[in-house]
Amino acid sequence: MRWYHSLSLRLLLLFWILLFAVASSGYLLALWFSKPIAPEPVPATVQSSLAPILSDVTTFRSLTPGRLVAGDYRVAASLAPSGPERLQLDRTLSAAHRRMLMQQLEADEPQQVPLGNRMLLGPFRLEGYRILVTRPITVDEREQQVISEQQTQRVQTLALLVGSLAIAILLGAWLVMPLRRLTHATREIARGSEQPDLRRLPRRNDELGELARALASTAHDLAVSRDAQRRLLSDVSHELRSPLARMQVALMLSQDEADSPERGGHMAQLGRDLERLSTIIERILSLSRLENGLVKLQTEPVDVRKLVGQLVKDLTYVDAKHGERLQVRESDDWPVLESDPELLRLVLENLVRNALQYTDDAVEISCEATASDYTMIIRDHGPGVPAEHLAQLFTPFYRADPSRNHKAGVGLGMALSLRAAAVLGGTVNARNHPEGGLEIQVVIPAQAT
Amino acid sequence: MSKLLLVDDDAELSSMLEQILTKEGFQLTLAADGETGLERALSGSYDLILLDVMLPGIDGFQLLQRLRQQGRNTPVIMLTARGDDEDRVAGLELGADDYLPKPFYPKELVARVKALLRRSPNTSVRPEKSEYAGFVVDPSQNEARCDETRLELTPTEFDILRTLVRAGGEVVSKDALSVAALGRSLAPFDRSLDVHISNIRKKLPNEPERIQTVRGRGYRIVQFS
Repeated sequence: MRWYHSLSLRLLLLFWILLFAVASSGYLLALWFSKPIAPEPVPATVQSSLAPILSDVTTFRSLTPGRLVAGDYRVAASLAPSGPERLQLDRTLSAAHRRMLMQQLEADEPQQVPLGNRMLLGPFRLEGYRILVTRPITVDEREQQVISEQQTQRVQTLALLVGSLAIAILLGAWLVMPLRRLTHATREIARGSEQPDLRRLPRRNDELGELARALASTAHDLAVSRDAQRRLLSDVSHELRSPLARMQVALMLSQDEADSPERGGHMAQLGRDLERLSTIIERILSLSRLENGLVKLQTEPVDVRKLVGQLVKDLTYVDAKHGERLQVRESDDWPVLESDPELLRLVLENLVRNALQYTDDAVEISCEATASDYTMIIRDHGPGVPAEHLAQLFTPFYRADPSRNHKAGVGLGMALSLRAAAVLGGTVNARNHPEGGLEIQVVIPAQAT
Repeated sequence: MSKLLLVDDDAELSSMLEQILTKEGFQLTLAADGETGLERALSGSYDLILLDVMLPGIDGFQLLQRLRQQGRNTPVIMLTARGDDEDRVAGLELGADDYLPKPFYPKELVARVKALLRRSPNTSVRPEKSEYAGFVVDPSQNEARCDETRLELTPTEFDILRTLVRAGGEVVSKDALSVAALGRSLAPFDRSLDVHISNIRKKLPNEPERIQTVRGRGYRIVQFS
């Protein structure tokens, strides 16, 4: 996200522009609606009372701004046809007022216009000379002015209210619509939708777009994990029910044939399935504990070569053939690790058992050390696994060879190894050895993290 | 002697079931995977097929689908070890007649097999033709028509429709329908009858609601004007 995509910057600019727009539109509207007091012709009484002074050319010429003409009448501006000081304006007046004086000097007829708290009269002309005079405004005139100002204020307030309301609605919609869409999408996700309806939100470049994209990917992840969960549940159910089904049938048969010689066979079947069931249950529980982080690491210095030696010994005890098939490569790379011996043994034992179970030839166990980690390699000489299925090896209940379905393991060993290695901070990879056979690598970091 | 085909990849279970069913007087053929199962189901003439869902190669659902597509209406009982209801009903929607979740009591399996075989049209008790509201069911010809359109029904669907038509617009309880068509009473939460009814409705040429659901009581056929 570039800096100019930032929502906060956009909001700042937006509010600024909008506030400015509202303020200026209010001002302009007020100007538009307020009625300036229109110039009126100078009343005849005033004309006649000023007439004596304004009919004499000499006096007229001498009238400069500031001078009193008669009574309260004071000269505000004078304009001569020529001369160095052709135009003279009352310097005490503000610039806006002086502009009005200029304007008034150009009027055709003498008029009276309010000018602040005074009344401007003129122009009076005589032989090319023009003057404007002012007088204090009367109470009546003042009152009218106040009313007019009040009107202006009222219009201004109204314009500001209406204008800002319209803009607030637009702004609200602009902000709230995406939020509403996001809320709606979140509810959809809660109901289990994989692709919530976000319209064009994810294509936005700002924070809201980012949120929408995060939401969309979360929905996808949730759906994937829900599918995986459902598949696992379905697989677990299948794995538990199959031996149960066999046990139920075997039990009935053994009851019906209490005296027959086949009874022993059915009892053996019962025993096998019982064992299988308990193995599956125990493994599912271990897997669940590992996945949910319920396993506490109990680390101590572990001599890995010794651990592997013990493992080989134990497996040989189960079946003497295992001893002949297992070959441990001696090297200086076998480390003494700060690790959890139980978990490390779980990782290696499952992998070694798998190799023994799925192949018939030798199984080699070796170790390679690098500066950063140790790699324990378990290699068999079986047919290997098709490359496209290598990744699936670690999926619970996945079996590379379905025909061995009920003879081989329960299909949880690899998944268990992977999870246990992950708890130890390591990984497990599978690849087909270039010279044939499957090679499983357990990578454990040298420095426990 | 009835001939059964058992398609299941669990060799140990299959051999034990073979002992039980043989003792009950059935002649059993085994198939351990989908391809073999389909081949046997299509080539031989079996009175009933016991079909596991999870099979190597093509699975039980696919097998059933292909079997029905080939126009074979052999009664099928699905055996499934997967837990969810969707899985169970899925088989019925594809045209299975009944399902039995694993693990099951072997006696239950034998009872279901016998029930399905007993009610199949060849051995039906009253083979006379019945008619109602545009439906014609003729058990002797093994033929069902709706507004002169021939309906392609499985034996179970045929029996359900026949029972409804014979009732002539009266409500038939779900349990009675189940006994007539599946040879057994309905278990709690058993949706198999509803799925069969929905399958029949889908096959009607028009107005699927002429087979009416009477909530809490059962189903009946209504006159369609």
